[in-house]
Amino acid sequence: MRGLLTSRYLVAALAAACFLVFAPLIPGIATAGNLSNLLWNMLPLAVVTIGETFVLITGGIDLSVTAIIALCSVTGALVMNGRNGYLAGSAAAAPAAIFAMLLAGVLLGLVNGFAVTRLGMPPFIVTLTTMMFFGGFAVWLTRSANIDALPPAFNRLSGVGTLAVAVVVALAADWTLRRGIFGRWLYATGMNPRASLVAGVPVHAVTIAAYTVSGLLAGAASVLYTARLETGSPVLGQRIFLDVIAAAVIGGTSLFGGRGTVAGTLAGVLFVALLDNSLNLLGLSFFLVLTVKGAVILAAALLDSAARRVLGEAVE
Amino acid sequence: MLAGCGNRTAGTAAPTIGVAFETLQTEYWVASRDAIATELKKRNLSMLEAIADGDANRQFEQVRNFITRRVDGIIVVPKDAQTVVPMIREANRAGIPIVLFNRPPAKSDARSVTVVADNFSIARDTVAYLAEEALKTPGKRQAAILIGDLGDINAIARRDGFEQALKPHADRIEIVSRIPTEWNQEKALAGITNAFQAHPGIDLIFVSSDLLLPSVVSALKSRSRYFKAGEPGHVVLGGFDGDATAYRMLTEGYLDATGVQDVGFDTAATVQAVIDLKAGKPVPETVLDPGFVIHQGNLRQAAPRMWGAGIRK
Repeated sequence: MRGLLTSRYLVAALAAACFLVFAPLIPGIATAGNLSNLLWNMLPLAVVTIGETFVLITGGIDLSVTAIIALCSVTGALVMNGRNGYLAGSAAAAPAAIFAMLLAGVLLGLVNGFAVTRLGMPPFIVTLTTMMFFGGFAVWLTRSANIDALPPAFNRLSGVGTLAVAVVVALAADWTLRRGIFGRWLYATGMNPRASLVAGVPVHAVTIAAYTVSGLLAGAASVLYTARLETGSPVLGQRIFLDVIAAAVIGGTSLFGGRGTVAGTLAGVLFVALLDNSLNLLGLSFFLVLTVKGAVILAAALLDSAARRVLGEAVE
Repeated sequence: MLAGCGNRTAGTAAPTIGVAFETLQTEYWVASRDAIATELKKRNLSMLEAIADGDANRQFEQVRNFITRRVDGIIVVPKDAQTVVPMIREANRAGIPIVLFNRPPAKSDARSVTVVADNFSIARDTVAYLAEEALKTPGKRQAAILIGDLGDINAIARRDGFEQALKPHADRIEIVSRIPTEWNQEKALAGITNAFQAHPGIDLIFVSSDLLLPSVVSALKSRSRYFKAGEPGHVVLGGFDGDATAYRMLTEGYLDATGVQDVGFDTAATVQAVIDLKAGKPVPETVLDPGFVIHQGNLRQAAPRMWGAGIRK
């Protein structure tokens, strides 16, 4: 039991089991077309969830990622849209907009990081507040209207570009967490911030950097989502937060900090995307889909607590 | 029956139609979803449904899942006019007919059919009735409108219908407040409360969706101005949609009129459009539901066609 609960392959095994259970029930689920669909669905979610994983490892939480996605989306669209964008018609519109979206993500992440560390406020309260502020600002900027007429060069990112971005982000994040000094500091901060501080870990800087990475990757996910929908939207990604947290936790990232991997997060994202895809193709009612997803997330959270108990860690 | 349906979903004999709703959070959407399900069943078509819970990206993924599953047709209630365009393109590429229910897409090269209520005309006729009622008593009137989401083309058409209906009466009816609600009841309540604060004399209110009526009722009650039509101090009140709340308020005498989207017409036309498209028959790009106005004067005759009357408990 101990081995099962703490196995790094548990989620991947669960996803495989889920796939095998659904395969005979859903015709076409194992076709190349559907598998490519599944992969395509999970990529932007993977990017934003990897960013959230960095924050969760420090023992924090970033509730504002969805609002950052929305604000970055309208920022980019305001720069590049062909009607009245600042760079409308310019060949530089798409690259400049992408830069603006990523920069906006970094700046918004920095705001979160500074508020958590310098103001000493709980991450939940800080990011709940900034979620409302960033989301409200996106709506105010656009008067609640979507912005279309984005350059075709930008919209084309929804193809192979999405895969390239997700692969680069996953490899870089994995290297950082497993090999880099920053990764070790992240885990140390999440496990015991006071002890880490005494041991010379720059806890505040590490925390700020984690929120900045989360903001940057929310900005990158915003690029992918906006290109996919060919529209800058002030409510883009508003409803994906549950999926983000679910994927991270199912993937073994602890809500109490100190634990989490990129591979686990990717497995969690795969599991969530597979669940969505399967329940959708089964044609189950909306309310049943929500119930099943809620139950799965609860089970993952319980598993997280059980694993911590088995590992002898304190569960606050 | 769908003609030329070569792609049956394995395990089912009937052709399959993918039905993607943006949300089921209001009575109107639930009634529409049920009516579509009934209409499809009546025509021996099976339904594969998906609800996006207000998330355009999720809806895109669901439509792609339908395409992967090789459904015979797709019906979408889009989140908005813009984000549905890539979904239509995907369906076009796969050669699967796609019909939009209730919300038209933004202008583009993507090909689809939209079945939508004539929001402008229905709103205009409803507000014309309200104006007629308001002007039965002498003196000037103050009007307010609760507008929906300005990113929603239907909300804009309803607002324009309201403005158009009151234009001829500009000398006696002044529009003193235009309240944005984003289809949100809390925002509607805050907005109408503020409007009453600034203009206590408001005596004609049009809500762009019956969904928002409870907010107006709450504000009127808190100011002791909730009276039946014909009673002194009655605020002339109209809505749009034709839901169960509107029907109850009409029968109780508190609501003067509401513009009704004819769900029966809409769903039958939507399913017929999918069938015709699949069969290669020509279908107009937009099928308009003329709807109708139900008011205190025609309540008994019009109620059987009001979908909200049908779901009233």
